[in-house]
Amino acid sequence: MKEIILHGRGGQGAVLAAQALASAAVFEDKYAMAFPHFGAERRGAPVAAFARIAEGRILTKAHIYKPDYVIVLDPWLAGLVDVAKGMEGHEGTSGGVPMGSVKTDICQGLNKKGAAVLNTARPPDEVRLSLEVCVGTVDATTIALETLGHPATNSCMLGAFAKTTEEVSIGSIEKGIMDVFGERLGEGIAERNVKAAKLGFERTEVGMCSGGREFPAQKKWLPDVDELPPGCAIRSQDTEYGKLGPGSTVQNETGSWRTFHPIVDDEKCTYCMLCWFHCPDGCIGRVPDKESVSVDYFYCKGCGICSEVCPVDAITMVREVEG
Amino acid sequence: MRLKLKDLPEENIFSSGHTACAGCGAAMAIRNIAKVLGKEIIIYVPASCLSVFNGLFPSCAWTVPYHHTVFENTGAAISGLSRAMKRKGLDNVTVVGIAGDGGTADIGLQALSGAAERNEDVIYICYDNEAYMNTGVQRSGSTPHGASTTTTPVGKLMKGKQDFKKDVPLIMMAHSVPYVATASVSFPLDLINKVKKAKETKGFRYLQVYAPCVPGWGYEQSKTVELGKLAVECGMWFLLECENGQLKINREPKMKNLETYLKMQGRFRHMDEKQIAELQESIERKWEFYKGYADLTQRLYSGSEASV
Amino acid sequence: MRRVVGSNYATSHAVMRARVEVIAAYPITPQTQMVEHIAKFINDGIMDCEYINVESEHSAISAVIASQAAGVRSFTSTASQGLALMHELLFSAGGLRLPIVMGVVNRSVGSTGGIWVEYNDSMPQRDCGWLQMYVETNQEVHDMILQAYKIAEDKRVLLPIMICSDGFILSHTVEPVELAEQEEVDGFLPKYEARHSYLDPKDPIASGIVTPREYRQEFAYQIHRAMLEAKDVIGEVNRDFADKFGRDHSGLIETEFVEDAEVILLTLGTVTSTARGVVRELRKKGKKAGLVKVRAFRPYPAERIAEVCKDARAVGVYDRSVSFGVGGPHYLEVRNALFDSDVPVIDFIGGLGGRDVAEADVRSMYDVLLEAAKTGKAKRNIEWVNTRGVVLG
Repeated sequence: MKEIILHGRGGQGAVLAAQALASAAVFEDKYAMAFPHFGAERRGAPVAAFARIAEGRILTKAHIYKPDYVIVLDPWLAGLVDVAKGMEGHEGTSGGVPMGSVKTDICQGLNKKGAAVLNTARPPDEVRLSLEVCVGTVDATTIALETLGHPATNSCMLGAFAKTTEEVSIGSIEKGIMDVFGERLGEGIAERNVKAAKLGFERTEVGMCSGGREFPAQKKWLPDVDELPPGCAIRSQDTEYGKLGPGSTVQNETGSWRTFHPIVDDEKCTYCMLCWFHCPDGCIGRVPDKESVSVDYFYCKGCGICSEVCPVDAITMVREVEG
Repeated sequence: MRLKLKDLPEENIFSSGHTACAGCGAAMAIRNIAKVLGKEIIIYVPASCLSVFNGLFPSCAWTVPYHHTVFENTGAAISGLSRAMKRKGLDNVTVVGIAGDGGTADIGLQALSGAAERNEDVIYICYDNEAYMNTGVQRSGSTPHGASTTTTPVGKLMKGKQDFKKDVPLIMMAHSVPYVATASVSFPLDLINKVKKAKETKGFRYLQVYAPCVPGWGYEQSKTVELGKLAVECGMWFLLECENGQLKINREPKMKNLETYLKMQGRFRHMDEKQIAELQESIERKWEFYKGYADLTQRLYSGSEASV
Repeated sequence: MRRVVGSNYATSHAVMRARVEVIAAYPITPQTQMVEHIAKFINDGIMDCEYINVESEHSAISAVIASQAAGVRSFTSTASQGLALMHELLFSAGGLRLPIVMGVVNRSVGSTGGIWVEYNDSMPQRDCGWLQMYVETNQEVHDMILQAYKIAEDKRVLLPIMICSDGFILSHTVEPVELAEQEEVDGFLPKYEARHSYLDPKDPIASGIVTPREYRQEFAYQIHRAMLEAKDVIGEVNRDFADKFGRDHSGLIETEFVEDAEVILLTLGTVTSTARGVVRELRKKGKKAGLVKVRAFRPYPAERIAEVCKDARAVGVYDRSVSFGVGGPHYLEVRNALFDSDVPVIDFIGGLGGRDVAEADVRSMYDVLLEAAKTGKAKRNIEWVNTRGVVLG
């Protein structure tokens, strides 16, 4: 049996991809299953989906802890983009480390003989993870923007998976996408996703990455029974695990969700405050001295509303780059 | 005195780092409404997108006291909170319920009506994104005619919602409460001043805020504000205010460009000329009704503060 | 002050004396008089509280959950369909650990049931995180409302509680009740000090945030543990009440003639009174019959039941509701309590839909038990009492 974890963000289609992967395996007369992380996550939030492929019936219904393969739909999630760079002292950080960081060690539990399939513009030998392991890399965001018009990288990454692991053929992936995406999104969109998968397959580079990279340990507040407040009535508090209770979302690094980010031209800004009002995430700060606004990239999800509402075109949206 | 944008504080009552989708109209509405309301408030949120994106235990975006139990009881829960505040002598505290349109127009309508009839001293805010977005876009009573949702899909026989949008603000006006208003995230000054007026009024106050939803409506995430403006321009949403029985229309719609509004959204893309004509006719009728209703109530209630 | 009143009046009076600050309730037979009495007290100016005349039971429980979460002593009451309508919110009250007191006037719920007593309204609520106590007299209803606040608000408990009384048999029967004076109650029940849940902008808390799976199980365990601790608290509060008011209701269970009993019948509610008479009658005839009035159903006093029944040769359980295809819910509790005993345990289902349970019915239960004690086994484990076409024993 082969176990696969797909890391993505809400809206990138990690769950649909897992289902299409299972469907592809079934087209090869294998047995397969796919399931979501059963969360209530919104668009952009980190999500996980799981798939298993085997020759015979799969009995376990538990989560996957030791995957053979990981597929990472978004470069941020593998820590390939550093959103918090230069944010020491931000209210959402503790000692310079974002407490609600989505940056995770995607190699956790990964089979050393397995592989990581990554959405990144870098070739395998320029990728550094915690484990020295086989990786397949492809710039899936660019392919998705070209073929679909928005950064849903799921289908493209299935192509990359086929190329990297050879667990299923690209032909079966195409069938799986037509089967699963076709049902949910219609045939036209499914066909565009097949195209993305093919491009993903063609452009994927396979090689070994370097290992030994350390990820800040993620501390999660998991108190014993006696430490939990009765009735879940919780007040605002700072703990070694970060903030809890009222106001504690300030530590959530939602900036890692974005594909584009806004740049403000102070010269053009008339300080009308429309962007300040219309930002759903409170990322725009007023700078009275300069009569301009600042952007808090720690939270900015890159929706682009600020740029749209600006009456003097002082805000432009720029594609996020790795680095 | 009317509020200006610069009068709103920099400090958030509804914190950043919440997990609403990029471009969320509801988040835009709520964080600004909270700034107008200030810190002396208690928030109740029923099951809704907001109850998820304001954080899951132990995380919470609200910096003020927050309470949540179920889906259909906002009217009742805020009644209980308001009475408790009265007992505690916290008369300066405003109790605010914030529900979605499903929690308001459908499953929560009974509790809402009860609280309004009792003229409970609370503010009820409905953020209207015109479907059950929390569970993945199912139709609600507030979904407009023709809109495709997962329970009114575009099929071979039927395309989109066959029925028309439930007019909850009108239902609330029929309750003769002190203040009923509609607003939109796309009209900042209108919105914040209605919230201010609601805050300064005693008794039951109802505010329904039009809040576009990126995944539910199927549009480019940067277009939230533009869509809200178009909706008011074409008559899919009216900016109204009913104080002590007297209805005022805050912004005269142009009643045109309906197609521009529809074509920007995936949920309406399938609509043919016939369906669009039906929709156009229904909103024109609505507009005529509101003009007449405003004239009538201006006459009936003019000069009467204690008219309700 | 001693007066002849029904249980609805006794409850309302106790609620007034408990200085409850927020009440939300909706009328339903046979509880209606309760909302009427409270309205009268308030309009006459003898009771000072916020009274929310809600438009449904669903809103009643929603409102008192909110007011109690805000840190204010709250009360509601209902019956039957009303309790069923509240069901969804009962889990919230338990989950948020809110010491709400609710007067439940038991009445059958659903089709083929009318407006008369049956426990199929309250029994299905037993897993919601509420304490449940069943009472026998109007005096006991009154006293238990006062005790209920002290039990529920104890920091070892912090759980909501239902005081269940038989519709009509108590609600619409007047009998003498000693109504507590304000000074007496003030000396027994201190003002409620909200420690874990209050809603105050000066010290904001978040109450009831959606809880992910990483925490739910620990919260559930906390409730389970609090429920177990409540067994001690119920006993302590009963003793404290007995000291101050001179009326002892015996805590979790009350027993009669169990010391040497060969057969023991376990009852809930008003049937206990009728059974008391039958037991005395049997004792006069030299039959070694005993009686246990089970007062607490949640938490269920399994250890006490096992202890009391350890020397009995047959144990009977009275059930005023059915878990279809299995037996009565009370029977299942007793079977669990006596899991390591060989004694025959027989369920007596009867009095459904308010059907009268007369002396003859109770006698027939004891007859079956005495027969089982003789043979050492039960003919049938589930018996239906006074049911046409069904033969008992």
